[in-house]
Amino acid sequence: MSGSIEVRGLSRTFHTTVRRPGFTGALRSLVQPERVAKDAVSDITFDVAPGELLALLGPNGAGKSTTIKMLTGILTPTAGEARVAGVVPYLERERNARNIGAVFGQRTQLWWDLPVRESFSILRDIYEIPKPEHTVRLQEFDDLLELSTFWDTRVRHLSLGQRVRCDLAAALLHDPPVVFLDEPTIGMDVVVKEQVREFLRHQVEERGRTVLLTTHDMTEVERLAERVVLVNHGRLVLDGTLDEIKKRFGSTWQVRAPLADPHAEAVALPGIALLRREGPKVVFGPDGPDAPAVHQALKRVIERYEVTDIALEEADLEDVMRAAYVQAEAPESRGGG
Amino acid sequence: MNAVRIAWRITRLNFRAQLEYRSEFLLMIGIGAIWQVSVIVFATVLLTRFTGMGGWDSSEVLLIPATRMLAHGIFVLFLGRMHGIGQIIQEGMIDTYLVRPMPVFRQVQLSVFPTNAIGDLTVAIGLMVGALSRSDLDWTAGRITYLVVCVLGGMFLEAALFTAVACASLRFPAADYWGRWLEELLGTFGSYPLNVLPRAVSGFLTFGLPLAFVAYFPAAVLTGHGHDTGVPYWLAAASPLLGLVAFLGARLLWRWSLGHYTGVNG
Amino acid sequence: MAVLHAWRAARVTPLGELYAPPRMTAALIRLTVQVILVASLWNGLYQQTGTTAGIDREQAVTYAVMAVLASRLRELDQYAGRDTVLQHMHFGTIVYWYLRPLAPQRYYALRALGEQLYGFAWALAGFVLSLAAGVVQPPGSAAVAGVFALSLLLGQLVLYYVMLVIDQFCFWTLRNGAAMLILIFAQNLLSGVYAPLWFFPDWFITLSSFLPFQATLSVPLSLYVGRIPLSDAAFQLSVQAGWVLVLALFTRFLWRRAALRIVSQGG
Repeated sequence: MSGSIEVRGLSRTFHTTVRRPGFTGALRSLVQPERVAKDAVSDITFDVAPGELLALLGPNGAGKSTTIKMLTGILTPTAGEARVAGVVPYLERERNARNIGAVFGQRTQLWWDLPVRESFSILRDIYEIPKPEHTVRLQEFDDLLELSTFWDTRVRHLSLGQRVRCDLAAALLHDPPVVFLDEPTIGMDVVVKEQVREFLRHQVEERGRTVLLTTHDMTEVERLAERVVLVNHGRLVLDGTLDEIKKRFGSTWQVRAPLADPHAEAVALPGIALLRREGPKVVFGPDGPDAPAVHQALKRVIERYEVTDIALEEADLEDVMRAAYVQAEAPESRGGG
Repeated sequence: MNAVRIAWRITRLNFRAQLEYRSEFLLMIGIGAIWQVSVIVFATVLLTRFTGMGGWDSSEVLLIPATRMLAHGIFVLFLGRMHGIGQIIQEGMIDTYLVRPMPVFRQVQLSVFPTNAIGDLTVAIGLMVGALSRSDLDWTAGRITYLVVCVLGGMFLEAALFTAVACASLRFPAADYWGRWLEELLGTFGSYPLNVLPRAVSGFLTFGLPLAFVAYFPAAVLTGHGHDTGVPYWLAAASPLLGLVAFLGARLLWRWSLGHYTGVNG
Repeated sequence: MAVLHAWRAARVTPLGELYAPPRMTAALIRLTVQVILVASLWNGLYQQTGTTAGIDREQAVTYAVMAVLASRLRELDQYAGRDTVLQHMHFGTIVYWYLRPLAPQRYYALRALGEQLYGFAWALAGFVLSLAAGVVQPPGSAAVAGVFALSLLLGQLVLYYVMLVIDQFCFWTLRNGAAMLILIFAQNLLSGVYAPLWFFPDWFITLSSFLPFQATLSVPLSLYVGRIPLSDAAFQLSVQAGWVLVLALFTRFLWRRAALRIVSQGG
């Protein structure tokens, strides 16, 4: 059971007061507040096996952060239950705290005015990590994240990329079997992002940690996650491996061709769908079960249109996700996994 | 005049924003008033217990805290956002302001409506009325004009001081600390006839931190004590002019500091 | 217990200050200037007066100077370090307090302990210097000194709880700065930091005796300068102890409600 996450029927409803506009409205709101219930999360069920990296995806406001907060014990669910490493997070907060590490993208847990290493020392004390273990682990983090180049700087002087790397190290200092990451690489440059991804992969593969990651970055999902859970409007929409999702929602190939006449009309061909138009460039994809193989499609496109160039691409994960979100909106295609 | 119209519109919106949270709005007026009342209680308590302060009659002494408080109240209303600018800087708002086509100084002033100023001013006006009614002076048109000019000068001087601190805040986040101390000093020592203090100390509060020019000197000139202030009469009488000049200097300093602003936490 | 292990948390604010020498210089300058100003003011005010409100010149000056020194005890600058509870609530970093195996109330207590100890070192140094310079009178007798020490300790406990309540307000009143300001104002005025409460009208003193603020500073200092005679000391000390108890229970209750609020709003 070490390092696994079990979520069963997790739900969370928020009650907010509606503020009526205008002067009299404000007065009335004071006297007779109107309360509105919002289901941030409804009946979510999924599992994360030990040593697995799961990407939790969904549009903004889908309930991802709320779910993570319930799993870290910061929020109590209104229904359902969850277990992290065998512990119920919102019932046994301190015990759970020892088993998890968390990084919330824009927020740092480091002490602003102190050098980073001092923050690490404080956390070492709080988590009661034996000194030799602490030293070894810091060395390991340094090897992977190059922390020693700036860990004597005060946190207020760090760049975003440096700070998040330090936050990652801080979250893993006590060797937790489970790690929650809420948009950790937001706003980072590509070099640092790659470094962080390497680090995460190392943690999962070599160290066997369980990671639950929310992100909007599809490259990240592509490179790190084997399994994906998609939520929308607080409900679980999909639960499956990347391959399954791609197969279900994605086209396996795309043909991108800029037309010679930018104003020419582009129509779909049998078995070939028009995915989108970017100015003169048109993107085609397979349409339905009778879609031709890619070389056939190429031939048909060239025969039909005057093109100045033609390129073949693998389906963009973003397109796949977009299709998944859109399909998820449609009432018949709810549920997955 | 377009600038005035825009400023007025923004102020109205800010005011309405404050009204959104009714209890908070009323409480803020309250805290402004209570705060000033406490300063008054403090000052009057001392004034009644320690009579003959530096040769000042009790009917005259009240003019000092009254002038100071009124100047401060107007300062808070119009130019007070310089005090406590630390939060605005921390939130990165300066960076936003720099991109907009309005002077940053003005945007900072218009960032929020200072509800507590309402309470501040109410009490200040009350105190001034009280001080004037107790005063035995002959309030000619000339005297009244001078008083008004001095109050405005005091406002400009306080604004100059807090703007200078704000300039430091642009570079050093901990400069807010000095701002708080400044407020404390102005409140505590701005309400007394400074000639009760030893020369060195009152000298510091005249030339080091030009506190004396806010209320003490103007009141001294008005009540006929202008020749025992320790500085030449003309200097004391020119307090409002000094305030204005100081404010203009502070604005220049502000512009220079903005030019060297490096943004918040890289 | 995690508390003892986490001693490093206690030194965060002092360490932050030590890493920023300008801040220390600023504090030093402020303290020195304030002591000089305050001593001058009270000496000046008393030039033509003997004893008033039961306090003579030396007592007044001693009281005022020690009040300035005592302000160092809990006035360390958390704000610049983005470390006030209000800022944590504002930036959302308060969640991390609830993600560690150290209860937030224990963490807070550790931080306050470190700050008060550090501030006390400063105040003590200032006291010794002021004593040597003759700005401050030594205590009347060993008994007075002893009672003062005890009262000061109790006063610091009350101060800790008062500041805790002010901070705990932030869990509810992120929008409402006013309620917090009122408390801060009451603490400043009624603790006797601006002037000994004895100068205020009787109704004011009576009112203030029903509130905990004067127990933080006014009582210990009044005992020191002798304004409160030793015969009354036992009563005053027990009042202080009473406030410690009441506030300890109240803040314990507030911590629980704060935690509930966090888990119902998600931090």
